[in-house]
Amino acid sequence: MKILFCTIAAAFAVALPAHASINIFTCEPEWGALSKELAGGDADVFVATTARQDPHQIQARPALIARLRNADLAVCSGAELEIGWMPALLRQAANGKVQPGAPGYFAAAEQVQRLEIPSRVDRAEGDIHPSGNPHVQTDPRNIRTIAVALAARLNQIDPAHGAAYAQRRDDFLRRWDAATLRWQQQGAPLKGARAVVYHKDWAYLFAWLGIEEVATIEPKPGVPPSSAYIAQLLDDIPHRNAQLIVYAAYQDPRASQFVAEKSGLPAALLPFTVGGTDAAKDLFGLFDDTVARLLSAESARAKP
Amino acid sequence: MPSHSFDILLPAFLAGMLVLATHVPLGRLVLERGIVFIDLAIAQVAGLGVVAADFAGWEPTGWSVQASAALAALAAAAFLVWTDRRFAAVQEAIIGVVFVVAASAEILLLSFNPHGAEELKDLLVGQILWVTPGQLLPVAALYGGLLAVIYLGGIRERRVLFYAVFALVVTASVQLVGIYLVFASLIMPALATRRLAAAYAAGITGYVVGLAASLLLDLPTGAAVVCALALVTALCAAARAAVPPGG
Repeated sequence: MKILFCTIAAAFAVALPAHASINIFTCEPEWGALSKELAGGDADVFVATTARQDPHQIQARPALIARLRNADLAVCSGAELEIGWMPALLRQAANGKVQPGAPGYFAAAEQVQRLEIPSRVDRAEGDIHPSGNPHVQTDPRNIRTIAVALAARLNQIDPAHGAAYAQRRDDFLRRWDAATLRWQQQGAPLKGARAVVYHKDWAYLFAWLGIEEVATIEPKPGVPPSSAYIAQLLDDIPHRNAQLIVYAAYQDPRASQFVAEKSGLPAALLPFTVGGTDAAKDLFGLFDDTVARLLSAESARAKP
Repeated sequence: MPSHSFDILLPAFLAGMLVLATHVPLGRLVLERGIVFIDLAIAQVAGLGVVAADFAGWEPTGWSVQASAALAALAAAAFLVWTDRRFAAVQEAIIGVVFVVAASAEILLLSFNPHGAEELKDLLVGQILWVTPGQLLPVAALYGGLLAVIYLGGIRERRVLFYAVFALVVTASVQLVGIYLVFASLIMPALATRRLAAAYAAGITGYVVGLAASLLLDLPTGAAVVCALALVTALCAAARAAVPPGG
């Protein structure tokens, strides 16, 4: 019996936030990593999803509600990425501080210029995000803009530690700008490459590196491909002059690998977010690994 | 102890009690008749009803989604009443066929309209933790009426009534707690014990243990409750085996 009580007590100790001045609830690992960079020990950061989960949908756990209920700040992608679960979670948490529109709700995608905003939203076109492509974290220049905005928001929520947030922001931006320059130089050979993607995850990454998306393996966003569609795609790939296939760690690799095998194109699995691959341990590792994996796929094609 | 844990789990617990109230007595009949997969078939046809209505161009508002789901479920029930009379020996096989055909028909219809996938998912994969009081009230009212029919209407003898009640009960419960929990709440308490009061007690214990485990160990709630119900069922079966019959 004693052991049982100890176990329960230990479980609660794990479930409860450590002592810090504010609690931050983040929807995706990239915003968890950015919040840790900027808030350091002044905040307890909780990440709702893992890199291997599709951020469009998630399983309900009581800890999600408990964490959001105690949060002073929620950091999410926004732009309808979490539409399948965040509204239900916000409703159950009933925490006025983090409702959309309040200072405690920070939507990262709203801080940057979004791509692929549809001119019309038609239900027949699949899971279209009316606010544009929400996967903004794949361009390091977006991370910079979002970091500046998030540091300002932290200062607004917790002005007592404003100086510390500003100092961490400046330190992060100095390292980030140097790294971005390095990634741009490393990624220069990728300019003009033509890629087949699984899902429209990469609009921002491709805009940054100058890669062109020439086809998607999903016929419509969120819809798995049929055999007829794959056959048509394989016929089209030579005409579209595609050079590589790109898919994310959270996606089922089978369709992408099938197309890679049949078409002879190299396939690059990209981490997509922090934790997606072993090398993507933080935001710096995320882009180090993304650029390295793209370059290795690109050179695999160039060789044969 | 997190002060909020009780009210986080309260709506989920109430949803579970509503589901158990109706599913435990129905589960005994389902087990008696040897048609345990009927809930999966009915739920899948209810989903097909929604996808078909969407395909026909109906605007999917809350009310019309419920109406098309209930109508399709009742139609499936009527079909299964007929096959139960006509082909009683292979009724379970027919139920299986209804399940896979309905699921496949949904995939075919959805390939024309991917957006319907979201409605279908809402209908088949309810998440017990997201339940709101606003969802519980209409279901409580519906189940109040259906419970009166279950206990006073003689559904054991009246085949048509049994299938109709079953269709409506499952269409509502699947949206609250999802298909796995519906199946578990229906079958496992009935498997655990033959006595009705004990079956209710087994079901309630399973829900309490599952909800507590999901809170303490940070597990997805629906799956934790299903496994807890299985554990309780296994313990009951072991206890029954240890005690000689009549003891």
